[in-house]
Amino acid sequence: MARVRSQPEVIRPEPMACAAIAVRDLTKKFSKPGTDSQFIVIDDVSLSVEEGRFVTIVGPSGCGKSTLLNIIAGIEPYDSGSVQVSPRQGTPMHEPRIGYVFQSPRLLNWLTTAGNIEFALEAQNVPREQWQERVTRQLGMVGLAGQERNYPLKLSGGMQQRVAIARALAIEPDILLMDEPFSHLDAITARKMRFDLMGILAKAKPTILFVTHDLSEAVFLSDRIYMMKTNPARIFKEVAIDLPRPRKPEDPRLLDLERDLVQEFFSVLEGTG
Amino acid sequence: MMTGGVRTVTLRVGSIVVLLLLWWVAARLMHDPEVLPSPGAIAATIAEDFVKPGPTGHSAIFHISLTLARIFAAFAASMLLGVAIGLVMGRNRLVERALLAVIPLMLTIPTILMVFLAVMWFGFSEAGGLIAVMAVVTPYVAVNIFEGAKAMDGSLIDMGVAFKAQNSLLVRKVYLPQLMPYMFSAFRYAFGMTWKIVALAETFGLKFGIGYMFFFWFEQFNMVQVLAWIVMFVVLMLALEHGVFARLERRAFAWRAAIAH
Repeated sequence: MARVRSQPEVIRPEPMACAAIAVRDLTKKFSKPGTDSQFIVIDDVSLSVEEGRFVTIVGPSGCGKSTLLNIIAGIEPYDSGSVQVSPRQGTPMHEPRIGYVFQSPRLLNWLTTAGNIEFALEAQNVPREQWQERVTRQLGMVGLAGQERNYPLKLSGGMQQRVAIARALAIEPDILLMDEPFSHLDAITARKMRFDLMGILAKAKPTILFVTHDLSEAVFLSDRIYMMKTNPARIFKEVAIDLPRPRKPEDPRLLDLERDLVQEFFSVLEGTG
Repeated sequence: MMTGGVRTVTLRVGSIVVLLLLWWVAARLMHDPEVLPSPGAIAATIAEDFVKPGPTGHSAIFHISLTLARIFAAFAASMLLGVAIGLVMGRNRLVERALLAVIPLMLTIPTILMVFLAVMWFGFSEAGGLIAVMAVVTPYVAVNIFEGAKAMDGSLIDMGVAFKAQNSLLVRKVYLPQLMPYMFSAFRYAFGMTWKIVALAETFGLKFGIGYMFFFWFEQFNMVQVLAWIVMFVVLMLALEHGVFARLERRAFAWRAAIAH
C-alpha cells in the first residue's frame, strides 16, 4: 500500500530550514484594464520545497499556477507575502540559479540548438571555455547528441522541448521550474519525456517545482503535490507520495492515488462553484 | 545541370547583355549619336569623365563621392531617427497614439513637394537636401520598426529575463533578430528613396554631385554625357543594393536558408 500522508484541508507549512523555495502568504492582484477594480489571482499561498525534492502544483488551467512560477522566477511582481529562493547547500555563496522550462519551448529560432543553450550560459555569466563541454553534455543527456548545429525549426515539438530542458539544465540550476512542459506534446511523446526526465534528474538533482493540470503526471513524477483550486488560486491540500523510484505509470498504487485525488478535486471545485 | 544560384546569375547577366545588344542595334539603325549614342560611345565618355576634369574642374570620382557622401549621411540620419522613433512608439502608448495620427500625414505629402518645401525653407544647401530626405524617409522607417516592435514575441523576452540575461544580450539575441525583417524592409525602401531624393535635390540646386552634372549636360543638350551620367548613377546604386545590402541581408537570414535546406 502507498503511504499517503494527507493533511488538513488548508495547510500553511512552515518553511523548513533547508527549503530551497519558501513562499509565505503570497498574494497577487491584477487590475482590470481600464477600471480601478482589482481581482485576486493568487490568494495567500504558502508552500515550501525542500532541497533536491520534486514538488508539483496541480490545478485547473488558468488558476494562476504559471503566475506563481513567474513570481518565483523573479519575472513578475507580487503584492504581499514573501518569496525566498536559496542556492544549494554546501556550494560557495552565489545567487540561486533558476532554470525555467516553459509550456512551449521558447527557443530562439535564429540560433542553433547550441546557440540557444549558450544564450542561457552567457546570461548566467558561465565562462566561455566551459560552453562547449556543457552544450555537448546537456544535449547528450536529453538524447540529442550531435544536434548542436541544427536549428530548432528543424526539430520536432518533443525535441524542441528537450532542447529547452537542456538549456535549463546547462546553467546547473539550484532550482528548476517547469510549467506544464509536456502539455503540448502528444501522449506517447509526453510519456517518453517523463521517463527520460526522471533519468536526467536522477543525475542532475536540482530542486524542482513543477506545474501541471494532469494528476497522473503529478503522481508519477512528484515527491509531494500541492493541490490548487482556482478563482482565486489557493492551495487546499498537500499530499506526500512516498513511493520508491523508479516508478511505473501503471503502478496500481499510483492509479489508486490518482483516482482519490481526482475525486477530491471535483468535490472541492464543485464546492466553490 | 546548373544550380539555382548559377542560373539566376546567368539569367541576369544574359538579360543585361541582350539589352545592351538591342541598344547597340538601335543606335546603329538610327545612326544619330545626338539622339541615341551607342553603348560604346557612352562607355568611352564615362572613361573620359573619370580621368579628365569636367566642366567644373573635377573628375567623375569627385562628383560620385560627393553624391555618395550625401546619400549615406541622409540615409544614416533618417534610419537612426526612424528606428529610434519606431522603438519609442512600440514601447510607449502615448507616443504611439500621437505619432500614428501624424505619420500618415507625412506619408501622404508627395515626395517632390517635400523637396520643394525643404528648398524653400532651407535654400539650396546641404541642410535642405538632408531635411528633404529625412522628412520623407523617417516616417516610413518609424512605422516599419514600430510594427516590428509590436510584433515582438513577449514570451521570448520573458524567457531571457527568467534566465537573467543582461540587456545587451537581450538586444543582440532576442530583440534585434526579431526586428531584422522589418529593418531590412525599411532599409531597402529608405535607401531607394534616399538616392532618388538626393539626385533630385542635386538636379534642382545642390552644387556638384551626379545629379548636378546630369542637369548641367541636360542644359547643354549633350545626350552622350546625360546618358553617361545616368548609367554611372544606375550602376553605382545597383552595385550598392546587390553588393552591400543583399549581402548583409543574406548574412542576417542565413538561419532561414539553413532550415529551408
